[in-house]
Amino acid sequence: MSTPTLDIRNLTLGFKGYTGFTEVLHGISLSVEPGERVALVGESGSGKSVTARIVLGLLQELRTARIGGSVLFEGRELDGLNKRERHALRGKAMSMIFQDPTSSLNPVFRISDQFHDVLRRADPRITRDAALERAAAILAEVSVRDAERVLNAFPFQLSGGLNQRVMIAMALANEPALLIADEPGTALDVTVQAQTLQLMRKLVEEHHTAVLFISHNLGVVREFADRVYVIYKGRIVEQGPTRAVFEGPRHPYTRALMAAVPRLTGGGIPDIDEDSPDFGAPLETHDAEGRA
Amino acid sequence: MIPLARLLAKRLATSLIVLIGVSMLIFAIARIIPGDPARIALGPNATAEQIADLRAALHLNDHIVVQYGHFVADVARGDLGVSLYTNRPVTADIALYLPATLELVLVAGLMMVGIGLPLGIWSARWRGRAADNMIRLVSLLGVSAPSFVWAVILMLLFAFYLPLFPIAGRISDSYAISSVTGFLLIDTLLQGDVRAFGNAAWHIVLPAFALALSGIGQAARLTRANMVETYDKPYIEMAQSYGFPARRIANHYAFRPSLIPSLTIIGLDFAAMLGNAFLVEAIFAWPGLSRYGVAVILRKDLNAIVGTVLIISATFLLVNIIVDLLIALLNPRIRYSQRPA
Repeated sequence: MSTPTLDIRNLTLGFKGYTGFTEVLHGISLSVEPGERVALVGESGSGKSVTARIVLGLLQELRTARIGGSVLFEGRELDGLNKRERHALRGKAMSMIFQDPTSSLNPVFRISDQFHDVLRRADPRITRDAALERAAAILAEVSVRDAERVLNAFPFQLSGGLNQRVMIAMALANEPALLIADEPGTALDVTVQAQTLQLMRKLVEEHHTAVLFISHNLGVVREFADRVYVIYKGRIVEQGPTRAVFEGPRHPYTRALMAAVPRLTGGGIPDIDEDSPDFGAPLETHDAEGRA
Repeated sequence: MIPLARLLAKRLATSLIVLIGVSMLIFAIARIIPGDPARIALGPNATAEQIADLRAALHLNDHIVVQYGHFVADVARGDLGVSLYTNRPVTADIALYLPATLELVLVAGLMMVGIGLPLGIWSARWRGRAADNMIRLVSLLGVSAPSFVWAVILMLLFAFYLPLFPIAGRISDSYAISSVTGFLLIDTLLQGDVRAFGNAAWHIVLPAFALALSGIGQAARLTRANMVETYDKPYIEMAQSYGFPARRIANHYAFRPSLIPSLTIIGLDFAAMLGNAFLVEAIFAWPGLSRYGVAVILRKDLNAIVGTVLIISATFLLVNIIVDLLIALLNPRIRYSQRPA
């Protein structure tokens, strides 16, 4: 087997606060193969987003954060890299898409300026004209036809869907090996979210980009991901190929999570326990065939 | 930039209305304060007849509304009347003294922006570290004492005990500079006299810095506060996750959205320096509008009082218009919301 693009082993994270030490990740392990789409699913506060920020190296800069375990990116231990080497990965080898595209773009700069800065990460000497040309080409890939207008606009002048396409284009502009999508498009309405997810899927397939897809939306995860990790209170509770997990959820929390999805066919909002001793059950792993 | 032109026209129109209001107010106040301007101007030996003649010449016997009518008619011709104190047209007096004050305030304003904003950026970028704590302490000191106190302290420290700077005045007497713009820093350069320019610059450092200190502190504190807030915005996290250089994030991505709320206050501070300049000028014997202003108020020199106040108000309004335009330039949302009616 080839080297995984991302290999997280027994990752722990805690914060030192005035009231003492709080551990929020209790040793999670997950891996993403080259070109694979992996989803990390869980409720708010389960530790999905902090995992993404550790991979990017953003949390390491926080002085109150204590991080244990190891994160290997393309076989290299991230902890062993110095600040400059870590920084070099960001925006080039790995990039990120955020929840709300409109507030993730700087309101007082034109899209073109921000795109230029993104492209400068891969080629520091790229001229403005070359950057604009390249940006227009990538925007065309996410079905933005009037690239010139979009590049000249400020984020508040574009729709949420267009901003999301811009974000996707920026994220893939430097051909990263890993794309982290943190609840992409949660702030958008469902039709626009579906369209942009389609585009994202098409692009990562074409570019053979590995994706760590963070979401609480099970429907989207089922459509998008090859493999799924279910995270609950800082622990992975179930993992396996998407089909196997969805068709035969075994962990009590996963079952509760799936039961919690409101049905289009009605029947009211399901009644779910806030917490249950069952949710602390050990990790369930599905292999490729879906057996235990 | 048609929207900007509309904004400018609108602000100019409202400023004119404010200016008219100020002129009425100061016109009335100058006449309410006790004392007969004619008697003060002519001195103790004047005869009752002379005083009556001067009062008639000044229209002082007319109703105040009629007097204001005369005043407006004069102003329309660009005439602010004659000062009873200097016996020269008030416009000539202002032209003589205003540039010195403006020069001082402009240099202080440059210091405020040129020192205060970078300190604020630096402080926000290294928030919680030693540099941040130092800057916060210094800017708190700057804000907590009025400029005339700083003027005295700076003068004692850097002109008296440690004579690095001249103690008073605009330029050494040995230089003869003919006045073209009235701004010594410009006039010396126009004459090509670099030594005189250096001398004038050397003279302006202490008074301008004293005047600017509280503004520097205020600008640094505001910039820091706004930037710390901006640093929590998703677009900063986005910039960080794309690995934009920390310096570029600080100077562009975090600074520019933060500058917009700071700018209004900085503009007001800048305008407030016009008032503070009066005391600083008195301490450093700076031949600006302050000494003239104080003298004419004490002598109840009606025309000169009204003229001085009007010119200061106009400058104040002008600064505010400039700030508004700057904000519109920086904030695309304001720029684009100026729709044609």
